[in-house]
Amino acid sequence: MRRFRIGLTARIIAVLVVLGVAVFPLYWMLVTALSSNADLFADRPRLVPDIGHFGVFVDALAEGKAAGWLLNSLVIAVGTMVLSVGLGIPLGYALSRFSFRGKAVLTLVLLFTQMLPEALMVVPLFALFRRFDLLDSLTGLVLVNSAFVLPIVALILKGAIDGIPRELEEAARADGGRPFTVLTRINMPLIAPSIAATAVIAFFHAWNEYVFAVTFIFTPELQPASVGIANFIGELGTPIQTVMAVAFLFTLPAVAFYLLAQKYVVSGMTAGAVKG
Amino acid sequence: MTVLERTRAPKTTRRSGTRRGPSPLGSKWTPYLFLAPAALFILVFQAVPLAQEVYLSFTRTTLLNPTRSQWVGLDNYDRIFGDPDFRHTLLITFVYVIACVVGAVGSGLVVALLLNKGFRGRGVARALVTVPWAAPGIAVALIATWMLNAQYGIVNRFLDAVGLGVPGGAILDSPRYALPAVLATTIWQLFPFTSVVLLSALQAVPQDLNEAATVDGAGRWATFRAVTWQVIKPTVGLLAVLMTIWSLRRFELIWLMTKGGPVGATETLVIDLYSQAFDSKELGSAAAIGMVGVVISLIVITGSRLVARAVEKEDVR
Repeated sequence: MRRFRIGLTARIIAVLVVLGVAVFPLYWMLVTALSSNADLFADRPRLVPDIGHFGVFVDALAEGKAAGWLLNSLVIAVGTMVLSVGLGIPLGYALSRFSFRGKAVLTLVLLFTQMLPEALMVVPLFALFRRFDLLDSLTGLVLVNSAFVLPIVALILKGAIDGIPRELEEAARADGGRPFTVLTRINMPLIAPSIAATAVIAFFHAWNEYVFAVTFIFTPELQPASVGIANFIGELGTPIQTVMAVAFLFTLPAVAFYLLAQKYVVSGMTAGAVKG
Repeated sequence: MTVLERTRAPKTTRRSGTRRGPSPLGSKWTPYLFLAPAALFILVFQAVPLAQEVYLSFTRTTLLNPTRSQWVGLDNYDRIFGDPDFRHTLLITFVYVIACVVGAVGSGLVVALLLNKGFRGRGVARALVTVPWAAPGIAVALIATWMLNAQYGIVNRFLDAVGLGVPGGAILDSPRYALPAVLATTIWQLFPFTSVVLLSALQAVPQDLNEAATVDGAGRWATFRAVTWQVIKPTVGLLAVLMTIWSLRRFELIWLMTKGGPVGATETLVIDLYSQAFDSKELGSAAAIGMVGVVISLIVITGSRLVARAVEKEDVR
């Protein structure tokens, strides 16, 4: 009995340590944002957030630049979400339900794209975008981000559609339903959780994306938050509290949405990965 | 049994004469209509650019005049493999990837085993653990840089307090400590993913087998090896491959924390390729460096599939 207790205590302590390690950096971001200068540079730094400095968040947004960055990120993320899920649903359906020439090759290509670094693709895409006048535009970023997240979206949705019994579709088809109607009326409602998961994945893929944004956007007003925040690193002009406040506002939606959709995102990610 | 066969079938059934017979959409072209938009997208934004990069790797091309390429055959490859700096980059990449795989899968397994037993608040714990994975890479790089700040960073203050302080405190400027710091940050971001995936794999471990082994007097370690490990082995293998591929392509975290420095201490292939392209403006050798990374990824994927197949055969026997 005593041994059991010790084991339990050790386990609880270990779990608390893990949770502390997991959460501390973001907690520290918040503490830094809410510290006074005196606290920051004191010999003994402040370890708990000072709610009295909450105004830093309001100032960070009111000051102008940060709000614009976050808005640009939102536009890019929503565009990417709509486009990649919109293209990924029919692709996933085709991969799940039809057999056709080139299916094996297509699946292989989808998996292969998972190993292409953005930094490698940025040069030819820059040339392509220049030719089609897509540089320095949010549309260009929506297109390229959608292309990069589309394979994983399609693979996850294929896995979800695989899980729907074909009999459900056959009944609808026997009643004369066209393939597209069958997809929208029968399949899509049934895989709604997976669609939501891929929407979250696509949204935050674009929300977090940096390499293309920093290379393709020249106008400061069109910068998304990832670029704006990255520019803070190594720059000395902006108070660290403002920097951390903006970064926290950038991080919070990502963490909140992942926690809400966690169950579906994780099962989707593993399903997509296992298929690989 | 495919839908293709099914859509042809109605011709012979009594439905064939009805108003809505097999439409042109139900023909053999149907799948292509579904996949064409997405396939076109991937062709334009992934396949064609990749082909261009392959071509570039055989040319001398500068960023200043990118439309003018001079075919040089294998020169770029010759040059990079003859360059001791590139061999150092390969070594750093190797160390970084192996450490990421071992660190992320190892810590993920420990955390998964910790969270696998039922206790009050387990749901909350499982949710909180995923926070690092959900945080944007840019924000992670920023907070890591601030925490590692030489003067005011909390990490240095802590290390000083326990008497382990790095002289001068500039961890990210130290050729010795920069790579471990970048690695720790990377693994911090990855372990939630590996632990959640392993946690779901652990659900498949038959509890009665575990109990039987314990009753038979097997120790914890022996039980783990005989029961748990056998069940999660494929998942561990899959995660190892995933971590390898992801680590080979990881850019922004390393770039924003150290730019590959100091003196190349954190320069992986992708960092090297980016600075070749945008600092040295050598698109040809940048492409060649990128191809080396792609080929390594391909070898790892193919190799892992062969191993998985061999293991499967073994198990069937």
